[in-house]
Amino acid sequence: MTDYKASSSSSKHGSVSSSMPSSLLVAKPANLQCKDFQEYLRTRSPDTLEKLYNYPTICLAVYRELPEIARQFVIRILFVEQPVPQAVVASWGSQYYAKEQASSTNILTELNVWRTTTIPGGLSAWELCPTFKKNLKIALLGGGKPWSMSHTLEKDSKPRDIAFLDQYAMSRWRCVLHYMVGTGGANKGQGSEVISPDAVRILLHANLMKRDETGITITRQGFQFLLLDTQSQVWHFMLMYLDTCEERGLSLPECLSMLFQLSFSTLGRDYSSEGMNPKMLAFLQHLREFGLVFQRKRKEGRFYPTRLALNVTNKAATVPAVVLEDEKSQESGYIVVETNYRVYAYTDSPLQVAVLGLFTELLYRFPNLVVGVLTRDSVRQALRGGITADQIISYLEQYSHPNMKLTESAIKSKSPLPPTVVDQIKLWELERNRFTYTEGVVYNQFLSQADFITLRDYAQSINVLVWQNERTRTMVVTKNGHDDVKRFWKKFSKNAS
Amino acid sequence: MVNVMKGVLVECDPAMKQFLLHLDEKLALGRKFIIQDLDESHLFISTDIVETLQARVDELMDRISFPLHEKEA
Amino acid sequence: MEKAAAENDDSGSVSLLVIVLDTNPSQRIVRQNPDNLSQCLDATVAFGNAHLMQKAQNKLAVISCHHHATDFLYPMPVKQLEVRQVDGQYEVFSLVEKTVKQRLSHIITNAPKITQPNESLLAGSMSMALCYVARMQRNAQPGVKIHSRILVLTGSNECASQYMTYMNVFFTAQKLGIVIDVCALDKSLSLLQQGCDITGGQYLRLTQLDGLLQYLLWVFLPDPKTRQMLVLPPPTKVDYRAACFCHREMIDIGYVCSVCLSIFCKFSPICTTCHTVFKVPGPLPPKPKKKKKV
Repeated sequence: MTDYKASSSSSKHGSVSSSMPSSLLVAKPANLQCKDFQEYLRTRSPDTLEKLYNYPTICLAVYRELPEIARQFVIRILFVEQPVPQAVVASWGSQYYAKEQASSTNILTELNVWRTTTIPGGLSAWELCPTFKKNLKIALLGGGKPWSMSHTLEKDSKPRDIAFLDQYAMSRWRCVLHYMVGTGGANKGQGSEVISPDAVRILLHANLMKRDETGITITRQGFQFLLLDTQSQVWHFMLMYLDTCEERGLSLPECLSMLFQLSFSTLGRDYSSEGMNPKMLAFLQHLREFGLVFQRKRKEGRFYPTRLALNVTNKAATVPAVVLEDEKSQESGYIVVETNYRVYAYTDSPLQVAVLGLFTELLYRFPNLVVGVLTRDSVRQALRGGITADQIISYLEQYSHPNMKLTESAIKSKSPLPPTVVDQIKLWELERNRFTYTEGVVYNQFLSQADFITLRDYAQSINVLVWQNERTRTMVVTKNGHDDVKRFWKKFSKNAS
Repeated sequence: MVNVMKGVLVECDPAMKQFLLHLDEKLALGRKFIIQDLDESHLFISTDIVETLQARVDELMDRISFPLHEKEA
Repeated sequence: MEKAAAENDDSGSVSLLVIVLDTNPSQRIVRQNPDNLSQCLDATVAFGNAHLMQKAQNKLAVISCHHHATDFLYPMPVKQLEVRQVDGQYEVFSLVEKTVKQRLSHIITNAPKITQPNESLLAGSMSMALCYVARMQRNAQPGVKIHSRILVLTGSNECASQYMTYMNVFFTAQKLGIVIDVCALDKSLSLLQQGCDITGGQYLRLTQLDGLLQYLLWVFLPDPKTRQMLVLPPPTKVDYRAACFCHREMIDIGYVCSVCLSIFCKFSPICTTCHTVFKVPGPLPPKPKKKKKV
């Protein structure tokens, strides 16, 4: 993660950032960047944010994404009618947590949730953005217009239960995943694994798949995508969809608000699409394709949100934390990892087996069980494919069998996996990274110390210096920075002579 | 006058650096590839050798690693 | 990276808040002005929803404490109400509001008529809250940690007759790691204050009802982990004197029943709590004599 950021920041200064390095090993290809909702919002303009805050649903979702302290601050000034002096707000937080408080304050400002005003007496004060304030109050206390998908409708004669919806949602979503790994291609005859051109366009846009001579194939990021948990997959996918929604003529605030309405709806309940404009109906059809909503027929005005749509920004909230006697248990983990590096997966899904095969050596296959083993070779192969150790570990943790989780709480361990296995996977990754390569240009044999210092300071000032030693008068600058430094040096030596 | 050379800066631990110096000295990759020895954890090498080098290092790591589990027949 | 680690830390945790709301009509604030009860109720519902708003995983239960019974206001014991959204309010919040109001009006209309003020069964309600928490914890999915707390909102007087139950509740809560918060709306409640102190909760006494919601949001909304990041009212000195069971007065030195540890300011031959019969006290025999007997 960090090296990616470093390389992107250094490339900013380069004249041509698109010039690809000759060797793949030198510059690591970009990893999958998964933004959470807060990061996504921070990249929006204040105007867009203002528009988004017109929807109570979005305000609620934004509120939940805020850090703990920020949430407390907002709720305390939510019912205060005048601006609150900044000194007063600052006094609410404990001084031992000044750092957290400062970052919370920044986030609130960046997200345009509150802004600075001056109150009589010249003190600067915080004031909640009126749109945000109004709509958050509506979400909390009521009032305002109903959400667009909540019209009452008569009882469904054949209501769908939660188990059915879960099954439906997962089968739709797997279609997308199957398409990505290409297992869908093998049984095209069934016709069930085919996804729409729109979905393919999103996968291409998201760089999860790429088009080459042989057709459409999965990318490195695509493999990383497969290792994410379903909720993060849906969220990442939807973000990519939203990126392209303006091109389709859909309005971003409307789509986002619709997405969050679904996210805040009740599982197992039907909603009406009456009163939605044609664009939103089109959006609904897309959601239907990905399995976020269930609708019997395209034209039917009734739909059921599925678990995929619920709490779309928050993966922790999707699994019911408390199972009451009347609720059925959900699709749970199926992977058992033992301290001898053996992996037992109780599954018959070709997709899950395919993903597991990315980083384990499969030994046996039974109708409902796959046995594999994590070896240095199998893990290294995955690492070579661009999958990180953390992704492998999080995948195994994500789908670990409930019994593994029981031992976790019994031995008070953070991870349900055996610590030896976790450490070893990380070590296997580390041993590949004993070298860091930076493509660059070395400057040496300076005639005078002054020349060296001038050039070095210049390289440092434009942020292209990677290594230097004053004693040997040697410095290394990045490849992209070389042109600038060369130009500077020519000018400098001309002036000097 | 200043001497300018293109290449790749390698940062690694001192042990690995010694291994690279050894490869260079013994012409194990067919030729010399180290342009300049910078300090105990930095080397400057030629760009086109990187892939071969990485393969060689992987091979070394393979040689010094032991299987952690017995694969039964 | 650090941020992700911190988030992982609490992703598997759920915050459960059980609000025990005193709805006894004999509370002084309710007798003076019945509107006060609905004001309390509105504040409680808004507060409960604010808790649910914090995180999607947060859970809420509201228990009403009456003079004759204790009932769940939310969630409904068996089947939830079918609530459809009528305005811009989040569906879950509407459900809480509707359920609480409907259940409470049902309780109030069905309550037996009382002629004289009766005390609220607060200790009993708190026991019920503890049972609910215990059930939720038992039903938690593997790997999920539930952080529970109980908030008591009452305008009743201290009920020394429930002393034993109170103490049982406090120590059970302490053992289970459940925090008890108390918001006293009328008199100061030294017994409940002890409970807060034992379990590490906040005690707050309000002298007027105006701004109740604001106080609740300030002091009681942050969960115990967040509280250390905020500045809250400083803890007042807890009066650990026990109330005598006969006159309900605070005493420093008194008589303690050797069976149930009830406290009396004057000697009584029969313990009023556990009905143990004591011998009539003679003058204390001198110590050396006692030793000889043994």
